[in-house]
Amino acid sequence: MASSEPTIKAENLVKHFTVDKSGRGFLGSMKALFHRRKRLVKAVDAINFAIRQGEFVGYVGENGAGKSTTIKMLTGILVPTSGSASVNGIIPYENRKENAAKIGVVFGQRTQLWWDLPVRESFEMLRVIFRVPATEFHYSMGRLDKALDLEPLMEMPVRKLSLGQRMRCDIAAALIHRPKVLFLDEPAIGLDVLAKESIRNFLAEINREGGTTIILTTHDMNDIEQLCERLIILDDGKIIYDDETELLKKKFLNEKEVMVEFHENVENLQSLPGLSITREEGNKKWLTFDNNVSNTGELISLMAKHYKIKDLSVREPSVENIIRNIYDNRIALPKHDEPYGSGSKMEEKK
Amino acid sequence: MNLELFIKFISVTLQKQITYRFDYFMGITNGFLYVFIFTSLWRALYSQTQIQSHSGFTLTAIITYAVMAMAVRIAFSMDDSAIYKRVQDGSVSMDLIRPVSFFLMNLSQSIGYSLFHTMARTMPIVVISVFLFDISIPFDPIRFIAFLLSAVMGYLILFMINFSVGLLAFWFVEIFPFMLLKYGFFTLFSGAIVPIDFFPGFLKVMAEILPFQYILYTPTVILMGRADMTAVPEMMAGQAVWLILMLLISRMMWIAGRSKLIVQGG
Repeated sequence: MASSEPTIKAENLVKHFTVDKSGRGFLGSMKALFHRRKRLVKAVDAINFAIRQGEFVGYVGENGAGKSTTIKMLTGILVPTSGSASVNGIIPYENRKENAAKIGVVFGQRTQLWWDLPVRESFEMLRVIFRVPATEFHYSMGRLDKALDLEPLMEMPVRKLSLGQRMRCDIAAALIHRPKVLFLDEPAIGLDVLAKESIRNFLAEINREGGTTIILTTHDMNDIEQLCERLIILDDGKIIYDDETELLKKKFLNEKEVMVEFHENVENLQSLPGLSITREEGNKKWLTFDNNVSNTGELISLMAKHYKIKDLSVREPSVENIIRNIYDNRIALPKHDEPYGSGSKMEEKK
Repeated sequence: MNLELFIKFISVTLQKQITYRFDYFMGITNGFLYVFIFTSLWRALYSQTQIQSHSGFTLTAIITYAVMAMAVRIAFSMDDSAIYKRVQDGSVSMDLIRPVSFFLMNLSQSIGYSLFHTMARTMPIVVISVFLFDISIPFDPIRFIAFLLSAVMGYLILFMINFSVGLLAFWFVEIFPFMLLKYGFFTLFSGAIVPIDFFPGFLKVMAEILPFQYILYTPTVILMGRADMTAVPEMMAGQAVWLILMLLISRMMWIAGRSKLIVQGG
């Protein structure tokens, strides 16, 4: 696909749910029988983005921000309330099967394997489902086995796999037919550090060499920092950031975080201009400050003068911290020169 | 969906059923118990009343009907809450990310389920019943072929009713009341317990209007020779009409339901 048409596109994509609000207990449910109070949930609220072939995009947001709902619309599971989406030029919710044949999907909390079958037979089922020719299947399996170490798991029934083992198999399952687009919805669940690292390397490889377009939703910001060049942040169904991951860090580069551990519990901390306490845990305090207003040296000397310090560390802003602060509305996103689209303006809260 | 996949889905469900061996023994006992209860009931009824002349069923005929209707009903065992359960726990997502027709996938799984019940329960129950009860089935290959065809149509009608009711889970959080209603209608109007011939006027009219008699009653009376061979084409035409109607209803339910689906959790 050398055309300039984006591989994945969302235009004013909206998904609303109505949820019944039934009261508590027996009386509540009896009341609900006659009088239904409905609540409208704007799970995805007019989002716009265009993702090109070969991009590796991090799609993050708090629980309930609308990440999974977006993925479910792009994979054809859910039909949008309004707006449109396309994947590989196919409208997923209208041509679900056609779309499904060309994408790979991993939902970390579910499995697409057959619970009662050995892993090998599950893969065999998928081979038939996706109509993968035998030679291509063997080639794919060989590659997947090398990257994900599947061989020892092949004869085990899926229900006996550990969470991490199942995750490896599920990632392999999504790639058997060598899809052009891969959706990973919180795939890190249950993986130990080592397995995580090898899966990251593998994902980077299929993205770089195979040109596979990947959308990854995760709560693990290390995944995002290591893998995703582009980051889309979702909050309350709206896109609040859509740009390079590095750029987010640069924008907040002047923000520093210092962790100070005091010998005793300090109540009223001497304050510097632009300093705020972001977290407290026993005698430890996490302080962020604007490096343009007050600098690290000043802060440390001030601390050392007034208090007995046990430990101290200075950190560069991590994407995780930045995003946490964005969620908590401690920091507002800097205004962009250009708006990303109608759905991407930072919402004012309270 | 190609045939290879269709058969694979059937065999996976079949394999899964076989792993639950306890269910198997319970199933045979339970099925045979029902046959025993119904045949005993009919025998008791026939010894007391003039019921025989009223319906035209001889004792042998009604025993044959009771056994065969139960045998077919067990063969038609379906997991009618399958769609509901998958919507409830959200695993319906995993069905929809496959390039496979949802309808055909459910059908093949249903066939796998029913094949197990046919082999594991219907077959032994029929064999045992032939020895224990006075059963009369005419030996007529053409009739038997008509029965098979009629049974397939009946099966498909029942499957599509279950499929359509199951799809209500796309709209409603709880579909148990619908399933209960369907179960009640099916039990009465399919002739599973009492053949339609015994129904009083108004119930008989209802039975004629509804599709349920085509599920069990029609194939059973064809098999046992109660239906005249000249009447068989008309009965099967009735089945075909409902087959097409249910196909349309299933399709419409699917199209309308798609946009109503909400998937709980991750």
